[in-house]
Amino acid sequence: MTQMIAEAVRQASVNFMDTVAMLLPRILITASIVAVGWVIAWALKWAVRWILIWSRFNHFCERIGVSAVLKTADLPPADHLVSLIVFWLVWVGFLLSGVDVLGFTALEGMVRSFAQFVPRLIVAIVIVVLGFVVANFAWRATLIAAVNARVPSPRVVSGAVRALVLILAGAMALDQIALARTIVLTAFAIAFGAVMLGLAIAFGVGGGGIARRILDHWFPEHPQAAEQEEFRHL
Amino acid sequence: MAVADDSLLSDDLLRQLMATGHVDILVGVPTLNNASTVVDVVRAAQRGIAQYFPRARALIFNADSGSDDGTPTLVRDATTDDTGTVSASRPLRTTNRISTPYHGLPGKGSALRVIFAVADLLSADAIVTLDPNVISVTPDWIPALAAPVRDGHADLVAPRYPRAATDGPLVTQLVRPLVRAAYGWTLYEPLMGEFGCSPQFAAHCLEHPALGTVIPEDVDVWMAAEALAKGFRPAQAALGPRLLGAPRKRPALRDVFQQVMDAVCACLELHDAYWLPRGAADPVPCFGTLNGAVEPGPHPDVTAMAEAFARDVAALRPVLATILTETTLAGVTAAAATPPRLVYDDDLWAATVFEFLLAYHRAVMTREHVTQTLLPLYLGRTAAFLMQHASSEPAIVDAAFESLCLAFERAKPSAAALWKKA
Repeated sequence: MTQMIAEAVRQASVNFMDTVAMLLPRILITASIVAVGWVIAWALKWAVRWILIWSRFNHFCERIGVSAVLKTADLPPADHLVSLIVFWLVWVGFLLSGVDVLGFTALEGMVRSFAQFVPRLIVAIVIVVLGFVVANFAWRATLIAAVNARVPSPRVVSGAVRALVLILAGAMALDQIALARTIVLTAFAIAFGAVMLGLAIAFGVGGGGIARRILDHWFPEHPQAAEQEEFRHL
Repeated sequence: MAVADDSLLSDDLLRQLMATGHVDILVGVPTLNNASTVVDVVRAAQRGIAQYFPRARALIFNADSGSDDGTPTLVRDATTDDTGTVSASRPLRTTNRISTPYHGLPGKGSALRVIFAVADLLSADAIVTLDPNVISVTPDWIPALAAPVRDGHADLVAPRYPRAATDGPLVTQLVRPLVRAAYGWTLYEPLMGEFGCSPQFAAHCLEHPALGTVIPEDVDVWMAAEALAKGFRPAQAALGPRLLGAPRKRPALRDVFQQVMDAVCACLELHDAYWLPRGAADPVPCFGTLNGAVEPGPHPDVTAMAEAFARDVAALRPVLATILTETTLAGVTAAAATPPRLVYDDDLWAATVFEFLLAYHRAVMTREHVTQTLLPLYLGRTAAFLMQHASSEPAIVDAAFESLCLAFERAKPSAAALWKKA
């Protein structure tokens, strides 16, 4: 009996030592991959940040309105944020590669999934940035044109244009990374439709007077007569 | 002499020009649907030539950019009591008239290219160009614009009109002080509606690719700036008041403003090597004496303009913050804060314009947006000026114009330094 127990303990010890002997190199390799990955990610982070500073990326972000949004959301400056994203993308990539080396069945395929996800994430980020560019341009163009055309409440009109473009870009970005796609699309369709319907009702019923003034301004009964009233600037 | 582009002149036109031969004076009239006013302009030109240059061989040349109201026919058929109907078949030393459509980009720049090409071909000694929409043109304008060129005193003769406070604020409040401060010449009317020029200057313009292409409209300011920047001798001719007829369709102010500012800014970009180091303005000699009663014209509702200015500044504040410095923005905001009373002083306006110019140069946003954002501020400045001077005596108004020009000259050096750094 005692001999049987001793044999079992010995066998367990041997098995444990075999397992340790088998896993230890993998753990060391994983640790090495993670450590080297961290160093590479850290170096890339600083390289990217240096390039962005050199190319005045923050100035560009200020012009397209991204900086203002980041500031409102209490996020770091744009160059810092982009370099952080690069760091985490690279390091998480190495981390998953390291974990894959361990050979855990439950974690198999994570690297492949991550590799498939990164391009979609990059495209989504590009969509968001382009959305900011277009939204800011449309906002400024609408604001200036509305002011010069004497349209009432120009900031409301231009703000609405910017919000619509940003919402559209956000929905496209979320769709790109396939994050709760059905919920996002349904919510977007419902919200967009509701906003448009609400605006139409508000403009037609609640703002009848404003609508009349705008239409009178755009389509005067005697445009030449109205123009003749003005004095000559040249 | 420049080699005129053959494609500018049709075979039919060349035949008419060969029949005409050499001319001493060429009066160019670029037109587009000016039937209501062009006859008086042509008659005034004919009388001016007959009265002041009776021995000169002259041609009145109409370059029409596709009128559909019979303008070319009216030019050809225009007669005067004292000169009678004349045509290309009459002997020399008569006033010939030719009207021709031109091809290419529509606009005054293209029309001037044709006029200069004709002047080059006919070896004209002096070229005068008249605005077909001016109803106050008199025969005196022809010698006033042509004589300084014929006498060898100038290569470009710009007009000078008596201006009331309400007359042409886009010129008096913006273009005149800006061009004067930048180029360093006291040119009163950079947007020359009419002008005289030498064949040498015409040939220079004809060879320049910008004429009729880069600046198809408002080419007059480019010509004035080009003359100053390239060392041609400028002069001014004192003419009477400039009154315009009612066009068939008046362009919207925002379009006119955009067009003028685009032209002025394009010139400043083109000539920055010349104007950046220029100092205080040198006087441009003026021939003749300003006379004629100044027509005050319709008075705008300055109270409504001041209220609109306050609303516009509040609405545009985020855009203005990217163009103006904090000090200037604070000044503009303070000026807009107390409607209907509005004080937008000369120094603040000069700083505003130069900061917009720098924003345009640096392209801090779409350049069209920069110039369009200046429009409400220009209207505010105009309202402030009219509140103060709409009923002032002409001498006081002229002094106010001069004071504004000096404010621009004071603001220029710092703007020029920033321009160089940009």
